[in-house]
Amino acid sequence: MAFLISFDIDGTLEFGDPPGGITVEMVRRAQQRGFLIGSCSDRFPSAQRALWEAREIKVDFVAAKHMLPDIRSRFEATKYLHIGDRDLDQQLAEQAGFEFFWDHEGVAEPWLAWLDEHAD
Amino acid sequence: MQLRKQSPVPNDLDRPFYDACNEDRLVLQHCAACNRFQFPPRAMCPRCGNPGLAWRDVTGRGRIQSRVVVYDSPVSTLIPDQPFNVATISLEVEPELTMLSHLPGVPVDKVPIGASVEVFFESTPATGQKVPEWRLVS
Amino acid sequence: MAIPIAPYAWHRNREGLGIWEGRGRVVATGVGTSPTARRWDEKPDTSMGALTIAAIRRAIEDAGITPDEIDGIVLTPESTTGVSNDPNAPAPVGWDSVFKMVDYPQAGITRGDIDWILLNMPELKNVEFKMNGPVCMSVAFTTAAEAVSRGLTKTCLVVRGWHNLAGRYYVGQGAAARDTAAGPGKYGSIWGMPACATTAMVFEEYCNKYGKSHEMMAPFIVEERRNGLMNPDGYYTQHRPEMITVDDYLSGRWIAKPANIYDNDLPIQAALAVIFTTPELAAHHKQKPVYILNHAQTRPELQGAVPALNEWERASDRMGRMLYEGAGIGPEDVSFENMYDGFTLFHQFHLEGLRFASRGEKRGYALDLYQTDISIEGPNPVSPSGGNNGNGRTRWWNHRDCILQIQGRSPSQISRKAEIGISGAHVPNYCDALVWAASAD
Repeated sequence: MAFLISFDIDGTLEFGDPPGGITVEMVRRAQQRGFLIGSCSDRFPSAQRALWEAREIKVDFVAAKHMLPDIRSRFEATKYLHIGDRDLDQQLAEQAGFEFFWDHEGVAEPWLAWLDEHAD
Repeated sequence: MQLRKQSPVPNDLDRPFYDACNEDRLVLQHCAACNRFQFPPRAMCPRCGNPGLAWRDVTGRGRIQSRVVVYDSPVSTLIPDQPFNVATISLEVEPELTMLSHLPGVPVDKVPIGASVEVFFESTPATGQKVPEWRLVS
Repeated sequence: MAIPIAPYAWHRNREGLGIWEGRGRVVATGVGTSPTARRWDEKPDTSMGALTIAAIRRAIEDAGITPDEIDGIVLTPESTTGVSNDPNAPAPVGWDSVFKMVDYPQAGITRGDIDWILLNMPELKNVEFKMNGPVCMSVAFTTAAEAVSRGLTKTCLVVRGWHNLAGRYYVGQGAAARDTAAGPGKYGSIWGMPACATTAMVFEEYCNKYGKSHEMMAPFIVEERRNGLMNPDGYYTQHRPEMITVDDYLSGRWIAKPANIYDNDLPIQAALAVIFTTPELAAHHKQKPVYILNHAQTRPELQGAVPALNEWERASDRMGRMLYEGAGIGPEDVSFENMYDGFTLFHQFHLEGLRFASRGEKRGYALDLYQTDISIEGPNPVSPSGGNNGNGRTRWWNHRDCILQIQGRSPSQISRKAEIGISGAHVPNYCDALVWAASAD
C-alpha cells in the first residue's frame, strides 16, 4: 500500500516564502521510496505545478489547501499526511482525515519510519 | 453551539452597555439632537458632535441583513470552531445600525437573509462577561 | 517639533463647493518606486526606511531635478495595516552604523518619519514644508495637492513606505491571541472576523440585492493580475510571476465567504515617492506634467458595528459627484479608473460611484461590466495598474499608474488615449481620491 504526503509550500518547503525546513532533497527521497507526493498550498494550483517543475519533480497532485478531502478521495493510501506551518494546516488536515506534522517536525523525515512499520 | 468568543473588557465609556448585557438588557447610545441611535459606544455623536448621548433600552429585535462564513479567523479562541457564521443584524429600532452575531444554532451557509431575530445574552468564557447574540424568531 | 497632519479644513468632503480653487495649479512629474520584498529580512539596507530613501532618489532623478529643489515633504507615517514592533522597541544591532537616528527608535523600520528621512538624506537641504498625511497615501496626495496649490511648497515629495515583518500578518498574534478583548477593536473582534470580512458582508448584500455572484469577479481578478505582471516594479513581476486563471481564482480557499484568499492582497515591503510641483516649475522637469483637477474625501457615518451597503453606496456616489463637480468634468470624460482594490470585492462600489463606463446604469452594473472587455486594450480599462491584487499591498499602485498612464509611459499603457484618470483609496466610505489629467483645459 502507498503512503501519501501533502506538503504546504510557504513556511514549510525550502523554496516557500518564507522558506521552511523541508528540503527538496527530502521530498525527492520520499518519492524515491514510493510515497505519493504533492502539495496543498495557498499558491494557485498552476503556480504550484510550476514550482515543482522548476525543481524537476513530477508530483502526483497539486491542490489548494482546503482541497485535502479531494486528494484523499482521489488516492488510495494506507496513511495520509499533511505537513504545514499554521494552525489552519493542522485543522484542515485533521478535518480531512490526514495525519499532521508541523514543518519543524517534518525535518526529521518521520514518514520514512512508516516503511519499516509496514515492511511486511 | 456556543462559540468561544473573547471576553470584552469594559471601559468607562462602554461600561453601561456591558453592565446592561449582564442584566440581559440591550442598551444603546441615543443622540437627542439627531434622534439617532449608534453603536459602538462613543464619547460624542459622530454626526453632530453632541457629547450628551443618553443610554436607552431597546427591544433587540431586528433582521438579518447580510452574512459571511469565517474559515480563517485571526482570533485564536475561535479557530477550532471554524467555519462559523457571522451575520450583520439590522435593528428594528434603527435599521442602519448594525450589530454582529454568530447566529448560534444556524448551520453554516444556511443563514436566512432577511429573517427576523431577537437578542439574547451569552456569557463569554474568559470572564463571564455577557454579550448580545441573536436567534431566529420562529 | 511635532510634524502637523493635514488640516481637516483642506478636505473637500461635501457637494456644492464648486470648481476646486487649486485646479490646474498642481502637477505631478517624477515617480520613484523602490524594489519590493515579501517581508523584511531585518537588514538595514532592505528596511522600509532604506526603500523609502531609494524611492525618493529615483523620483528626483526621474523628474530630472536636483535634490535642493525639493522644499516640501508630505508623508504617510503608518507603514502597515498588519503587525508593527512596539513603538519603543530598539532598532536592530548595526542599524545606527547605517542610519542616523531620531528620537523615535522605530523610525525607518515600522514607521515613516520625515525628520528621519531628512537626517539620512542630507542632499534634501531646502525642505521647509513638512506635513503628515495619515493612514493612507491617498491622504498624502490630497494634502500635497492642497499644499502646492496654496503656495506652501513649490516642489514637494509625496512619500509612503510599507513594511512587512517576518511572521504572519496578524493571525493569532497580539490581541488576536488573547482570550479577552480590550480597546476599540473589541466591538468587532470578538466575532472573529478576518480583515476582509466586513467587505465580504457588504459584497454579499450587494450580490443579494442585484442578483450577482462571487464567480462574476473572476474576469476582474485575472485582468488585474495580467496588468500587474506588466509592471517591472510590482511584487509579483519581481518575485512570483505567476498568472492566475479563472479556475485558480474560483478554487481559492474561503477566508470569509464570499471573500476567498485571492480577494485578499499580499502584504509586502515597498516604497513610493512622487514629485508634485506647479505647472510653471514643471516646465524644466524631465517628465510630462500631470494635472490634478480635483480631490475629495469621504469619511464613515459611524452608526453601526460595520458599514452596510447603503452607506457604501451613498459614500461612493457622493465621492463621484464631488470629484466631477470640483474638476468640472463628467463620467464620460474619464479615460480609465484606478480605484482601490485591496480587497478586490469593494472595487465595484468605487467604480459604480464614479459611474465609470455606465450606459445609464447607476448601481449593480459593475460585475456585468467585468464580463465585457475591461482590458487595457479595450474601451473601458478597469484598474489598468493591476492594483494591490496585481502588484502587492501598497495602496498606491493605483495613484502611481494614473500619473504614468497620462504621461504615456505606464507599463500597462491603455490603448485609448489616457487623458483623464481617477484614483482613490481605501474603502468606499473612507476614501481620498484625485482626478488626474493631461491638461488643465
